[in-house]
Amino acid sequence: MAYELTKADLEDRARRAGLRLPAAEIERLLPGVNRAWRQAEELRSWVTEGIEPASVFSAARAYGG
Amino acid sequence: MASLDLPALSIGEAGRCLRRGDFSVPELTQACLDRIAAHDEKLHAFITVTAELALKQARKLDQELRAGVDRGPLHGIPVALKDLYMTRGIRTTCHSAVRENWIPAEDATAVVRLAAAGTVLLGKLGMHEFAFGGPSIDAPFPAVRNPWNPGHVPGGSSSGSGAALAAAFCLGSLGSDTGGSIRTPASHCGVVGLKPTYGRVSRFGLVPLSWSLDHAGPMARTVEDCALLLQAIAGPDPRDPASATVAVPDFGAALGSGIAGIRIGVPRRGWFDEQKGTDAETEAVFDRALAKLETLGAKLIEIDGEPFSAARKANQTLLLAEAYAYHENALRRAPEKFGTSVRRRLLEGAFLSAADYITAQRARVVLTERMRSNFATVDVFATPTTPRPPEAFERLDPNEQNLRPSFTNAFNLSGLPAVSVPCGFTSGKLPVGLQIAAPAFEEGLALRVAYAYERAAGWDREQPPL
Repeated sequence: MAYELTKADLEDRARRAGLRLPAAEIERLLPGVNRAWRQAEELRSWVTEGIEPASVFSAARAYGG
Repeated sequence: MASLDLPALSIGEAGRCLRRGDFSVPELTQACLDRIAAHDEKLHAFITVTAELALKQARKLDQELRAGVDRGPLHGIPVALKDLYMTRGIRTTCHSAVRENWIPAEDATAVVRLAAAGTVLLGKLGMHEFAFGGPSIDAPFPAVRNPWNPGHVPGGSSSGSGAALAAAFCLGSLGSDTGGSIRTPASHCGVVGLKPTYGRVSRFGLVPLSWSLDHAGPMARTVEDCALLLQAIAGPDPRDPASATVAVPDFGAALGSGIAGIRIGVPRRGWFDEQKGTDAETEAVFDRALAKLETLGAKLIEIDGEPFSAARKANQTLLLAEAYAYHENALRRAPEKFGTSVRRRLLEGAFLSAADYITAQRARVVLTERMRSNFATVDVFATPTTPRPPEAFERLDPNEQNLRPSFTNAFNLSGLPAVSVPCGFTSGKLPVGLQIAAPAFEEGLALRVAYAYERAAGWDREQPPL
């Protein structure tokens, strides 16, 4: 089960992200942020050892190789 | 032919009439402009109408046709664009106060290609703000309404494209699709929308929502018209790093070859009943469409819906993280310039971690392979396009969409082509869409199945009463 963010967590993270969010907006964000967290957590069960991310750096593309 | 009928013609029909001299390009263009002037006040499909430019283009294109210069099936066809396609010298607002007066210095690649094919630009269309977050009720432009019932949403985010086509304001349109934004308004407005394979159509010049999920694609009133529009805009583009160097086939070549023996995979189990499930009336309409496909010779095969269902989680994680990254500076600087709905969704991305994002990109590999592996036993997938009919504005609940399955997200994550074609109506006369998805770069196959269904079912002949 993913850790559920609290309003205080969000306030702290918003500040560190350089966002100026009123308390009421933080409150409104909380359910959506926790839903997004749960979704991201559930994805971990699909990933196994040896799977690289879909987006990888391509030297051929970067340097025209 | 009465001038009011002209905008309701298909691109194919209009092209034949123009070449026969039944009417001119300026007459067709003026008929569209007249219809917009008469009816758009109640639908708000357009943000900007480029009437003067359209008539100027129409006169030039008409002269060309009369001089024997024929650019092909889109020559003289009036179209309109979702207002996130960059248009040189024409404001491109993304339906947002953030870009209310932005005038790009160049055109998107797809816009250049449509113009080269001889289309007439009628204007720029309303959308969900920055293609995200739902109908924009506090943006500088009113929310687009559904021509079948203006009290209901047209779907989004390419809302104006769906509404303008259903209302016969234009003959073709371009939308963009990151999680269903072409197919949902196509379904809700009773028109056809195609999300091509990722990389098939250049994204250069589209204001991004999520780089790894964004697709540009055509919308029209018929499958054949979608194929004609796709033909014009498809192909490699060095200005789009995700552009695929894959040959562009003739998308119309096999449209009429039927679907006898085609194996249609239906990923119902583990997907259609997710959380609150699929609306019963919508699923019944979908089942009747499947039965129709069976009578045309297709074979139905039930397949596992689990990876399709899980794809939504990866799609949403990637979308939230990438969309926030794109808008981060503007959100720090002046968050109040964003509408409430889009701001809330964008900010959700601020709280995801780098590991969350990378995990979603890794899950994308696994889930895409699980979906793709079904092509060993089926040729295409079929689902309803949306899990429920268009909601009434007054009952709009932004959380409701998270409680139903998303039938569109899986094909953004996997990059597979998917088309929505009208497949009937609810008892309240609201449109329902059938989604057909095909293997990568097999848009022609998806269109062929959709075309066979469309010809047999005839829903494309229905028009909303304005």
